[in-house]
Amino acid sequence: MTAANNDNRSATAAAGAGAGDAFARPAEPGEPAPAAAGRVPRGALAGWRPDPLDIGIVVVVLAVIVAGALTTRFFSLANARAILASSAWVGITAIGATVVMIAGSAVSLAVSQTATVAAMIFFETQQLGLPLAIVLTLLAGVAITALQGAVIGYWAANPIVLTIAAGFAIDGVAIWISGGTTVYPKVTAFNGLNATPLGLPLAVYVLLGLTVLAEWFLRRTTAGRQMYLLGENPAAARAAGLPVARVTVSAWAFFGACIALTGIFLAAFNTIANSSVGGTLSLDAIAAVLVGGTAIGGGKGSAVRTLGGAVLISAISDLLLLRGFSTGIQLLVKGILVLLVVIAVHVRSARGRR
Amino acid sequence: MSEAPAAAVSVERLTRAFGGVPAVREVSFTVGAGEIHGLCGHNGAGKSTVVKMLSGQLTPDSGRIVIDGQAVQLGSRQAAQRLGIALVDQELSVVPALTVLDNLLLGDVRAPLVNRRRAATTRCRQVLRDMGLDRLHPQQPLSDLSIGERQLVEIARALSQNARLVILDEPTATLSDVETEHVFAAIRRVAAQGCSVIFVSHRLPEVLQLCDTVTVLRDGRKIATTPSRELTVADLIVSMLGEAPRRLTAARSPDPRADHELRVEHLRVPGRLADFSLTAQAGRVYALAGQLGSGASDVLRALAGLHPQATGTVRLRDHAVPFRSPAGAARAGMAFVSNDRKSEGLFLDKTIAANLIATRLPSLARAGMLSSRRARRAASSLAGLAGIPDRRLGEPAAALSGGNQQKVFVSRCLGRGDVYALLLDEPTRGVDIGGRAAVHRLLRAAADAGLIVLFSSTELEELLELSDVIITMREARVVAQYDGGVDGAVLLRDMTHGTHAA
Repeated sequence: MTAANNDNRSATAAAGAGAGDAFARPAEPGEPAPAAAGRVPRGALAGWRPDPLDIGIVVVVLAVIVAGALTTRFFSLANARAILASSAWVGITAIGATVVMIAGSAVSLAVSQTATVAAMIFFETQQLGLPLAIVLTLLAGVAITALQGAVIGYWAANPIVLTIAAGFAIDGVAIWISGGTTVYPKVTAFNGLNATPLGLPLAVYVLLGLTVLAEWFLRRTTAGRQMYLLGENPAAARAAGLPVARVTVSAWAFFGACIALTGIFLAAFNTIANSSVGGTLSLDAIAAVLVGGTAIGGGKGSAVRTLGGAVLISAISDLLLLRGFSTGIQLLVKGILVLLVVIAVHVRSARGRR
Repeated sequence: MSEAPAAAVSVERLTRAFGGVPAVREVSFTVGAGEIHGLCGHNGAGKSTVVKMLSGQLTPDSGRIVIDGQAVQLGSRQAAQRLGIALVDQELSVVPALTVLDNLLLGDVRAPLVNRRRAATTRCRQVLRDMGLDRLHPQQPLSDLSIGERQLVEIARALSQNARLVILDEPTATLSDVETEHVFAAIRRVAAQGCSVIFVSHRLPEVLQLCDTVTVLRDGRKIATTPSRELTVADLIVSMLGEAPRRLTAARSPDPRADHELRVEHLRVPGRLADFSLTAQAGRVYALAGQLGSGASDVLRALAGLHPQATGTVRLRDHAVPFRSPAGAARAGMAFVSNDRKSEGLFLDKTIAANLIATRLPSLARAGMLSSRRARRAASSLAGLAGIPDRRLGEPAAALSGGNQQKVFVSRCLGRGDVYALLLDEPTRGVDIGGRAAVHRLLRAAADAGLIVLFSSTELEELLELSDVIITMREARVVAQYDGGVDGAVLLRDMTHGTHAA
């Protein structure tokens, strides 16, 4: 029976999605190959192996919904807006972090510093007009981050070590140039960025747009597909002659643009830029990506899932806030959530490897 | 084997099959105490299977292993070690991050729980001296050592365990002559103390020089056990190959229409490849015949851009190939199939379709955007080439059998307008007979379609069946180049003890 089950599933996968979708989809072979059907199935449930990560996420979402239903004001339009708004800044950076993680470069620990510098540059260039200021800030973010990507791509540097170093260097340069003081904008052209069309901050629309763009890029473009391959098996990608360095640099360049965007919104919201504007952005972004289920080792994941991760974290924080829990508890829950996802992802990949 | 009282280890009618295909059939031989026993046979003769059964990694289907008159069951490598059987594998199993001393103690089941540092260090120095490694310090991390020295440490570890039987499986493949001499001296020393030694090697002169007795296997059967003083290398080759060694006959002459060639001049890889030159024409299949450490695989890796320290000139279609980076080599029109398809070949968690088109994404895209229709068509046609049904395209590559994975790996390089030379490192390693024939067909078809095909292999049948030109290699150098008119015995001679051409 289980073998039949397997056959059915692979048949529907092939017929329903069409063989071509096989590449469009970022292959999610959670369970060991259906082709194991040829072998003797282990136990009665061998044919149906639910993805532990997806189960975990469904459980958490259900828990949030139940807890939300029991909490006054959780299910209200205003609260939904608040959740989206609070996930926007981290979410924008997390979309960039997703691309880098899929491409096998793990994480950057220089995000907060880069966002801070972006915020400062944004204010310093206000007098050139808003569009030019945005463009220059984006270029700066891309340059700073793509440079780190180049060191990782061309010289196979360890991303964690490198970005710790880069974080200090960026911080140092920022303090050196700003003199360690807060940067105030000379012109307030940026106020338009705090607009809230349809009651939602502009940053939310940017986040949604970026998610769609990143998802399309990852699935439909050559560079995006190569990122999945590179993240899955760097040695194979290299031996196959794929442009490993170039792909790595483009992932980091995109990440840089995302960080700069976050910096711009943070600056506009705070109306000042100082060395603490970036806050805990580095780790928050990583948390959102991980909760979305992107594999820290690369090769698997999606921007849409990261968006889900960012919103889920916001929703839980919001829920805890509404129920009167302290910030400490919120952080603790966030930590536990990340831990659970990491365990679930590990269980999943350990299965897949068998 | 009760008639010889000195028999320390004997195997009796040992048999083992894999998936119904017998790998070892009723093999019996005896190794006396203090005897150095050579085990020879061509690839697939069953040597490794015998070694794996003796070292507890495989259980025999029937037959028994007798140590000191007692039949033993070796459930695992640890169990074998406890019974006094030490194995030096082809693969290094020393840990680079640990010190020499730690490595010597590593995996020794008799090592005391509490480490007695001083005594261990003294003993370690003695062991190192015996191996001619006086220059090493016990506290040196192994990562400071050359590959040859690491191999020596590994051998020293096995020899220092006071084992009753030491099995050395191709221990000298990566060693220099001086290092080999040290290993031989150390082996003779443990044998003189009464330890039995089984020595497996492709280097036949070494076998005759070192061993007291040689057992030859062919097709899983024992052919003969002979005292080595009664043997010559030529005798060994004949008994390894059987009666009528096949000849390379159907060599094709170069196609006059073939307008492009691969020109390799003075390719060198420090420590691995001495000097390699070759002019290869389109439409022909070139083989590099050489055992592990001969440099055959390094030629291919260097051409594919995976030896950044390689030097020389490489020209393909009259364009210089930037062969120090894999991406550069690929852009110039090289496609490489590694001998390690799991870690350096396929993207196992990705779908079969994604694997088939992995290296040709740009050609399926317009302005960087992938056309799913073209991708689907390309994957489908390549799947046809590889003989994999379309309905399986959505399965992960990991679901395929080894042979099918290899077909996907090779097909990935085919049918592209921008590949002119196909480099394959042991293209049928670990592939079943059917898969092997299919891969051979693919390569022949690729050559017929005007590609230059260059592959390395150690299997005589494959070399003789598939190649138009065979280049034999040994110890980082070319021995000879044959345009037809060669038989298996000559190839084996070149690969194992031939004289250098230049």
